[in-house]
Amino acid sequence: MHGMNRRTLMRGAFVAGTALLAAGTAATAQDKTTINFLSAQRDEVIQPMIEGFEKAHPDIEVIHQSVPFNDLNAATESRIGQGDTSIDVLHADTPRIPAFASQGYLLNLDDRRDVIEAAVPNAVDIEQVSYDGSIYAYPQWTSTQMMYFNRKILEDAGLEMPSDDPESRLTWEELLDMARTVQENGVKYGLTFQQVDRYYQLQFLFESAGAGSGLTGDDMLTPDITNEGWVKTAAWYGDLYENGLAPRGVTPEQTDDLFINGEVAFMIAGPWAIARYDANPDLDYGVAPVPYFEGGKPSTPTGSWSVAINPNSEKLDAARAFAEYVTLDPEGVYLSIAGNPNTLVNAEAYKKYAADMEALTDKIGSAIGIISHETQNTAAGRPRSRGFVTFETIMNRTFSDIRNGTDAESALDGAERQLKRALGRIK
Amino acid sequence: MTKRSAILAALAFLMPALVSVFLLRLWPAAVAVNTSLIPPGSDTYGLDNFRYIFTDPVFLNSLKVTLVFLVIVNPLQIAISLALALLMNTAVPLIGFWRTVILLPVAIPQSVSAVVWGVALRPDGLVNAVLVALGMEPQRFLTSPDQALASIILIVSWIGVGYWMTFILAGLQDIPKSLYEAVTIDGANPWQRFRFVTLPQLRRPLTFVLVANTVANFLIFAPIQILTAGGPEGSTDLIMNTVYTQAFIISDPESAAASTVVLVAVVLLIVILQFRMMRTEDGHD
Repeated sequence: MHGMNRRTLMRGAFVAGTALLAAGTAATAQDKTTINFLSAQRDEVIQPMIEGFEKAHPDIEVIHQSVPFNDLNAATESRIGQGDTSIDVLHADTPRIPAFASQGYLLNLDDRRDVIEAAVPNAVDIEQVSYDGSIYAYPQWTSTQMMYFNRKILEDAGLEMPSDDPESRLTWEELLDMARTVQENGVKYGLTFQQVDRYYQLQFLFESAGAGSGLTGDDMLTPDITNEGWVKTAAWYGDLYENGLAPRGVTPEQTDDLFINGEVAFMIAGPWAIARYDANPDLDYGVAPVPYFEGGKPSTPTGSWSVAINPNSEKLDAARAFAEYVTLDPEGVYLSIAGNPNTLVNAEAYKKYAADMEALTDKIGSAIGIISHETQNTAAGRPRSRGFVTFETIMNRTFSDIRNGTDAESALDGAERQLKRALGRIK
Repeated sequence: MTKRSAILAALAFLMPALVSVFLLRLWPAAVAVNTSLIPPGSDTYGLDNFRYIFTDPVFLNSLKVTLVFLVIVNPLQIAISLALALLMNTAVPLIGFWRTVILLPVAIPQSVSAVVWGVALRPDGLVNAVLVALGMEPQRFLTSPDQALASIILIVSWIGVGYWMTFILAGLQDIPKSLYEAVTIDGANPWQRFRFVTLPQLRRPLTFVLVANTVANFLIFAPIQILTAGGPEGSTDLIMNTVYTQAFIISDPESAAASTVVLVAVVLLIVILQFRMMRTEDGHD
């Protein structure tokens, strides 16, 4: 780690030095096209893609502009919305694509549909970048969720290890029984969600119960969160905390530590959690598919970042070349996860990703088997709505209230009233 | 140098400041007022945005929560700061050490304090461990709609009192000793010395602390954003959190601008009232 930091530093110093020299001899430098890439990722995540691209396209230079996730929306809206041409390519969070596309912030990519669909064969991944029947971004990464369990805790409680086979996944009823047993055996908590209170991670509960995503209507601007399935499932979520099976007052940033410290037996989390858990050699853990409700269907969260083009860009050709390199060219796609273990949607690059993940199977079970199965068969994306961000914000706060003990039915009633007003303003 | 060129020279020196004031203060304020008067999807002026926010239960709740918060937090912080300042102005042993301890939280960023307090106040956290050890019931703190605002008041006060104390302490040390000697000769007891010498002499620093503290508390944002996001059940939804949510999360800049205009108007009104209250009978403040 130290060596790498120093190397990065040295490279930085070298680049800075070269830039100074270049500035002195600018007149003789060859003409280069410079494009800007706006994202919410750290530089380390994006640099490998840029380096790979610049090697393949020596006449194009890519500058990465990183803004915090919460500011990306505002940055996109204020800059592209005002006709700014200084952003050429941008990272787009898939549930935000309808809002951006409907306002004309993203270039329509229908002319490249054939190529995109050939590289990304999963229809769910194409739907994630579409709005109103058109494609507005190149799909790049996707995500899913798995259930992690602490082998030692389960062993001590005399429980059987959950299987990694999606065909024999546990029901929530079975899982809660196991969670209660470990808690009686002295473990602080039975289970937790990595991203407590976030719609992204809780939607699959409602989908599994057959209650729907929470938004309906042709334009997905009508809330539907007070039906029987929603109320029942939300009450189930509240009970987890009311009964002390899951922890109250813990933020999403603190949940990984609970699992690493052996304070919780089961953890619902994304594949990226492997990187953190594996860094703790004392943690003996395994993976299984997420549970489903008895009588319901298995469902999993999905969606991630995609790559879109600013329609105002004055360097569309270069922008397109970069966007396609990091999403359609297997080499570029693979580089896109060099600094961040995300799941890929590109079929060719996925093979290489799967081979890497396969190495973990002996230790934790077949994570790649679960990821492949879930992204192909059970993934349910977030609703494709122009009002998604409003919906998500209000839902996250509602889940938080329910976790803290507010009655599920009255919390959902309040949220539905608020959603009708706020979404009505978008209509 | 002629008078005219002197004015020009002065203007040239003032220009950077004037340009900054215009670009960084006046222009954004004008933009906010302008935006607040244009309903979404319209290009004519109107009061629709204000009508919308004043019928919005979320905004109305945040106004109520903010006022309740201020009515409790301002007197509380000023009373504690004043008490601490009086204590720190006496001849306590190790006085430098105590002053440092009280001022220390100021050196910690508000966000860091919020994170640390958030962990301590978790239902399974340090504070409950202490309560249980003392034979008391564990509390829910930030996860309870009845205790969350009080917990926020505790956190921001822990950060704030040391800071405000330093201003009052400076004021105390400016009071001439002779005044105390005079009233002592006249037979004043300690309460009378405080009531008739200390308090009137502290009018200036107290006015500053009152106004600055009120404005600072109106604009509390980081602890809310980090710890509760306004919940549970909107019980800590202070107005800055609502404005932030409108502007940057649900992308409703028109409502955010209207809310900002309301916020500034309320702050101005309260500050003007405070200045009037703190004015002496002869009209000087």
